Amino acid sequence: MRRPASGRRRLFIALLLTFAIVGIFIVRLVDIQVVRADQLNEDSFNKRAIAVTSYAARGDIVDTNGSVLAASVLRYDITASPRNVHDFTRIVDGKKVSVSVLQAAGEIAAATGKDHNDIYQALTKDPKSDFVYVVKGVDTATLRAVRKLSIPGIWDEKHPARTYPDGAVAGNLVGFVGTDGPQYGLEKTEDKCLASTNGSSTYERGADGVRIPGSTVTNKEAVDGGTLKLTIDRDLQWFVQQAIAEQATAIGAQSATAIVYRVKDAHIMALADWPSVDPNNRNATPIANLGSLAFSAYYEPGSTMKALSASMLIDSGKATPTTRATVPSVWRTPEGGTVHDAGNHAVEHLTLTGVLQQSSNVGISMIGINVPPQQRFDYMTKFGLGQISGVDFQGESNRGIPPLKNWDDQRKYDMLYGQGVAVTAVQLAGAYQAIGNGGVRLPLTLVESCTKPDGTVVTPQAAAPVRVISEASSKTVVNMLESVVTGGELGRVLTIPGYRVAAKSGTAEVAGPNGAGYTGDRIVSLSGLAPAEDPQYGVLVTYTKPAIMKSSAAAAPTFHKIMTQVLKTYRVPPSTTPSTSPPATW
Amino acid sequence: MTNLAYSLPARSPRGPAPERAPHIEIVSTRSQRRARPRTVYALVTVAGLFVILMVQLLLSIVLSQGAYQISALQAQQTELSRDAQTYTEQLDVLKSPQNLSARAEALGMVMSTAPAVYLRLSDGAVIGTPTAMRASQTAVIGADGALVPNSLLPEQPAPGMDSGTTAAAGAPSGATATGSVASTAGVLPSPVTH
Repeated sequence: MRRPASGRRRLFIALLLTFAIVGIFIVRLVDIQVVRADQLNEDSFNKRAIAVTSYAARGDIVDTNGSVLAASVLRYDITASPRNVHDFTRIVDGKKVSVSVLQAAGEIAAATGKDHNDIYQALTKDPKSDFVYVVKGVDTATLRAVRKLSIPGIWDEKHPARTYPDGAVAGNLVGFVGTDGPQYGLEKTEDKCLASTNGSSTYERGADGVRIPGSTVTNKEAVDGGTLKLTIDRDLQWFVQQAIAEQATAIGAQSATAIVYRVKDAHIMALADWPSVDPNNRNATPIANLGSLAFSAYYEPGSTMKALSASMLIDSGKATPTTRATVPSVWRTPEGGTVHDAGNHAVEHLTLTGVLQQSSNVGISMIGINVPPQQRFDYMTKFGLGQISGVDFQGESNRGIPPLKNWDDQRKYDMLYGQGVAVTAVQLAGAYQAIGNGGVRLPLTLVESCTKPDGTVVTPQAAAPVRVISEASSKTVVNMLESVVTGGELGRVLTIPGYRVAAKSGTAEVAGPNGAGYTGDRIVSLSGLAPAEDPQYGVLVTYTKPAIMKSSAAAAPTFHKIMTQVLKTYRVPPSTTPSTSPPATW
Repeated sequence: MTNLAYSLPARSPRGPAPERAPHIEIVSTRSQRRARPRTVYALVTVAGLFVILMVQLLLSIVLSQGAYQISALQAQQTELSRDAQTYTEQLDVLKSPQNLSARAEALGMVMSTAPAVYLRLSDGAVIGTPTAMRASQTAVIGADGALVPNSLLPEQPAPGMDSGTTAAAGAPSGATATGSVASTAGVLPSPVTH
């Protein structure tokens, strides 16, 4: 049926109004949902979503027994937003107390131990700024004290830091981390193992700051650094560092090094430098002492080289332990040069063993020259002299052995007793390791393994062993070196009751600048292996430029002390047979 | 055909009586009644929907409650791990050789510089010569003081003299006894064990 006309009009108006209102709503809806959607989303997200960095800890450095040498800790930076810093009131014992900015700065200064004025300056210098550092690197107790003050505008930030709980023990090896990252030592060279990656995630939170469940989105997982395990024994390292520091101070040496290594696998048990750095307090140490001189400093080793020369003679068959020599105090070489012994003496009848026992430069020159230069060069290369050691520590360099064309008529004799050729302490220790290990030189190892946070253990790839001399030759040479301890002038100091010890002393002259002859300074050293019938451990002690006691008698007591401790620490059973060595005279 | 000339029957004087419309009800047949859905089902469905909505609401309340709990526990965890870190740091420093040697020295212990003496268990033989140490000759830290510094240790015996070593900044010299650890003075604390 038809509606009356007025009815139709009312209906029409009503419909029109309805459509109009719906239309407005649709327009508004489209506007919010489509046109301004992105911008609104972003605005609200920023108000709700928080980006969080999850800190991953840098890996620890531990010694061979697991004692921590370097660890990661969290410190905090107190920051402020000067824009929001102002006088405020605090409720103390129910009463309102007003606190001014100056007073607040004083309270922060008292809590952190910093200067009152510095803090006040930081807070008020730039009133428009939104971020300023007030105090950097405070520990947890201080952080809590500052937080308890509840000063408006003061916040804190996490700041990962590094601590070295054992101080200067192994400081020369471990190195330290600076503000830009690792700077020295194993912290730097093993950074690949130690470095951590921070993770990031975002989550949304409600107005009262509580995380909205289910809203965390992890963009990147935090990955901790791996644990670096060294071959160093921390307690032995401390002992050795203390021992060389005491003696070096007593004789007024410029520096000192000591290396303790295990002969069978060339692991370094202790490597001490003096003076060396305490990584917690690196500013107290001059730059020259921040690294490890045992690895980086080249010097002419002196008589400790004679053991290597004897090895070359025995292995090449050019001499035996009883080869005879008539040894004057000064010898004129066939080419017209001169070789001197350390002290004046009458003409002596020495065997090769005796030459080592008395440490005669003339004796070793007379006999040693029989090995052709090329063969000597090859032996020295195989011994690892002048080359970067298996450790590849920071500061090591490849200087090489002087090329044959530079072996003039004097130098070719000098090199037999350790002058005219330069090595580092580590290279010399490596050569003695070869002599003790049946003639096979293994690369010296300082880093035992790197344990990743997921548990995988990565052992560094070691270089191949090098056969330097035959096993029989090595046994012969070690036996000859026993005579230094049983019959040499330092014998009484070097003898360790119950053990057969093989050793060689060295008092080296130091070359003057510009190669103009030698100065009056000396570098005294002592290198040895024990027990001699089957060497387990080797020790090399070096003192550079002592002011008093410029002979190797300065190094002998330290060697004795360290070797006794090493034999005790590693429970080496005493020797069952007495020391015998070939005759020294004829 | 009706002849309209004739008069129509007269209306009754009362007109159509305003009697109540007859109450007519459509009675559904039995089959129709059976076909109608029962109210119970509708009520159950609606109630079900209602329950589902309520459960959802409750769950989300519990979830949010859980979120608050998580937040509180996380805050507690952070504080506790901070404590743990502080104590671990302190422990590591106390375990350092510098501290141990200083404490040993303070207790009056001496270092043995003689080689080790071994006891062979198979036949009870003693290998090596046992040597008694005299205190004067074997101090743990020599007369020069502790020459391997640890700047994290608050007190250490300062070195007697030195030139350019990395010694800790000068405190008055002399090995300071850092306090007896024993509960009865002068007696080494030792556990009572068999």
